[in-house]
Amino acid sequence: MTAFEPWMLLVVSVVVFCIGLLGLILRKNLIVMLMSIELMLNAVNLCFVTFSKMHQLLDGHLTVLFVMTVAAAESAVGLGLVIAMFRNLRSVDSDQIQLLRD
Amino acid sequence: MITSMILFPLAGFIINGFWTLWAARNGSRVSSRVSGAIATSAMLAAFVSAWLARSQLPASGSTEVEIFRWFTLGSLSVDFKLRLDALSSLFTLVITGVGALIHLYSVSYMEEDEGAGKYFAYLNLFCFMMLNLVLGGTLPQVFLGWEGVGLASYLLIGFWYREEANVSAGQKAFVMNRIGDLGFLIAMFIGYKYSGSLDLATIEKVVLPAGVGTSFVLLVFLACTGKSAQIPLFTWLPDAMAGPTPVSALIHAATMVTSGVYLLARLSPVISQSTTGMTVIAGIGAATALITAIIACFQSDIKKVLAYSTVSQLGFMFVACGVGAFGAGVFHVMTHAFFKALLFLGAGSVIHGLHGEQDIFKMGGLKKKLPVTFWTFTAGWAAILGMPPFSGFFSKDEILHQALVSGSGSVILFSVLLIAATLTAFYMTRLYWLVFFGGPRMDKSKFDHAHESPVAMALPLVVLGLLSLAGGFAGEPVHLPHPEAVRSTPAWIIMVVSVLAAAVGATIAYRRYSAGAVSPEAARDVFRIDSIYSSLFGGGLKATASATQWLEERVVQGLIRLVAAITDLSGNMIRVLQVGSAQAYLLMMIIGLVVMVIYFLKGVAQYGNF
Repeated sequence: MTAFEPWMLLVVSVVVFCIGLLGLILRKNLIVMLMSIELMLNAVNLCFVTFSKMHQLLDGHLTVLFVMTVAAAESAVGLGLVIAMFRNLRSVDSDQIQLLRD
Repeated sequence: MITSMILFPLAGFIINGFWTLWAARNGSRVSSRVSGAIATSAMLAAFVSAWLARSQLPASGSTEVEIFRWFTLGSLSVDFKLRLDALSSLFTLVITGVGALIHLYSVSYMEEDEGAGKYFAYLNLFCFMMLNLVLGGTLPQVFLGWEGVGLASYLLIGFWYREEANVSAGQKAFVMNRIGDLGFLIAMFIGYKYSGSLDLATIEKVVLPAGVGTSFVLLVFLACTGKSAQIPLFTWLPDAMAGPTPVSALIHAATMVTSGVYLLARLSPVISQSTTGMTVIAGIGAATALITAIIACFQSDIKKVLAYSTVSQLGFMFVACGVGAFGAGVFHVMTHAFFKALLFLGAGSVIHGLHGEQDIFKMGGLKKKLPVTFWTFTAGWAAILGMPPFSGFFSKDEILHQALVSGSGSVILFSVLLIAATLTAFYMTRLYWLVFFGGPRMDKSKFDHAHESPVAMALPLVVLGLLSLAGGFAGEPVHLPHPEAVRSTPAWIIMVVSVLAAAVGATIAYRRYSAGAVSPEAARDVFRIDSIYSSLFGGGLKATASATQWLEERVVQGLIRLVAAITDLSGNMIRVLQVGSAQAYLLMMIIGLVVMVIYFLKGVAQYGNF
């Protein structure tokens, strides 16, 4: 069975990261934006694991575990904020949330 | 005795001052008689104290009373102490004696005035400060008195403050005195630097290096030109006549304006170290005596004539100090205090009798109407002319004598003074004749209503008249070192010459003003000194002010506006980026990140590591 070459995994990681980034920049829906952030995080996770495997070190694995924990917490807080905004503004459109601008 | 002497006027000031404040709060009126009586008795008590203090003066010649430690600064500690010796004792007698008479006179003169309580409070304040000046044992204390009399003078010149001219006359006096005070302060610092003490007793003995000595003398003299109204700072004194007449008599004739002479006499051991300084003092004194005597000949206001005459007589005193004859100067201070106070009070009596008329060309024929004023004024007139045996004869003759024979004297100095004395005789006779002789030149009703002053005003006139008559026989009251005589001119020749000069002046005035109808002369501003000053200093000040204003408005504010404009512009440029959309910020952030990554990767490519 042919093992995946590391560069393949890295290409996947870059592609997923760019999808997340473009989603974050182009979409206005806050929930979609949060999901894009998750995509980016997971792309980075994949990158970590790949390098970790490449260098035969455990550091990358450990970091990935941390990132996943933090990402879970982050999305919980993020979703909570989005729900709170939706209650107040009846919208999850990031263009509507400009109250700090003059 | 010495302490009580200064405490009495202070008490009078406090009582009258608080009474006036209290009355103003309650809307009641201060009784002019009662407040006048308080002030007068305070001055009488001070006079008695001064007399007793003089009689108790020890043989060593001076006595000091320490009252309290005033302040300590590092190694310098200044006591508040009173020092009485022959010189200060004479001044205290003149201040309290003439002062008491003028207070008594004021009781009647100011009877109808609403501000009598304030008036007497200020007058007592003045006497307190003046006593501080002459009794002060340290230079700061003398300075305190010096400033205090300036303050009292300012308050009293502008006493009738509802007229703007009076207020600005007060301000003029104050500002001109400030110029002189600067000299006093710097001289004080010099004295401290070279003697290490501010005590008069120490400073008197200090020997200053030649150049420093001259600047010390000139600075002290600058202070004197301010307070004693000498060239160039004399123009405030004629304007100071805006105050009530007794004030002119006390402050601007008898006491305050002579404090310059006191200061020079007090510091005479230091002053006489500088020949240059002495020459300047004598020269300025003589110039002042002559110039103001000329101006006095062209005045028509009775008080203005006397004011210029005062400046001229002060010039005589400064000549005496300048030639080293401090004793003669102090002698003239004393006799001048008698006869000039008398002349001012007499003028006040005339003004009072004519209900406020001050123009001598609207007087005349008052001899019969005001007999007491006339006879006492005659004594004052004879004294200022220097007619023997009146007091002015002795002192003026002594000054003329010293101006000629002493080492720093000269024939020029003597001749200038002689001309000034002739002019004095001219303008005083002109005044005397126009007021008391000839036909009345005022309205008939005014002449008919002219009346002699009440006893409270007549009594001081009589006392001062007697003093003007006999005061000269006291001789030089203070024995200060005399200059060595280098020319031997017999005293009798000078006496004859000076009496002749006075007679010539008086005769010219008599011939001019006694014959026929007198045509009114308007006062003429002969030397235009006031307008010269205002164009020279006032114009310069205004030009500087407008230049500064331009600088401020255009340059300084322009710079500030430029900074504001730059901030504003850059803000406007940057605010375009603040679009308010999170995605836009994110995009910017990513662009920045990409730029940074490219930059660092380029570095890696070039150097192989970060």
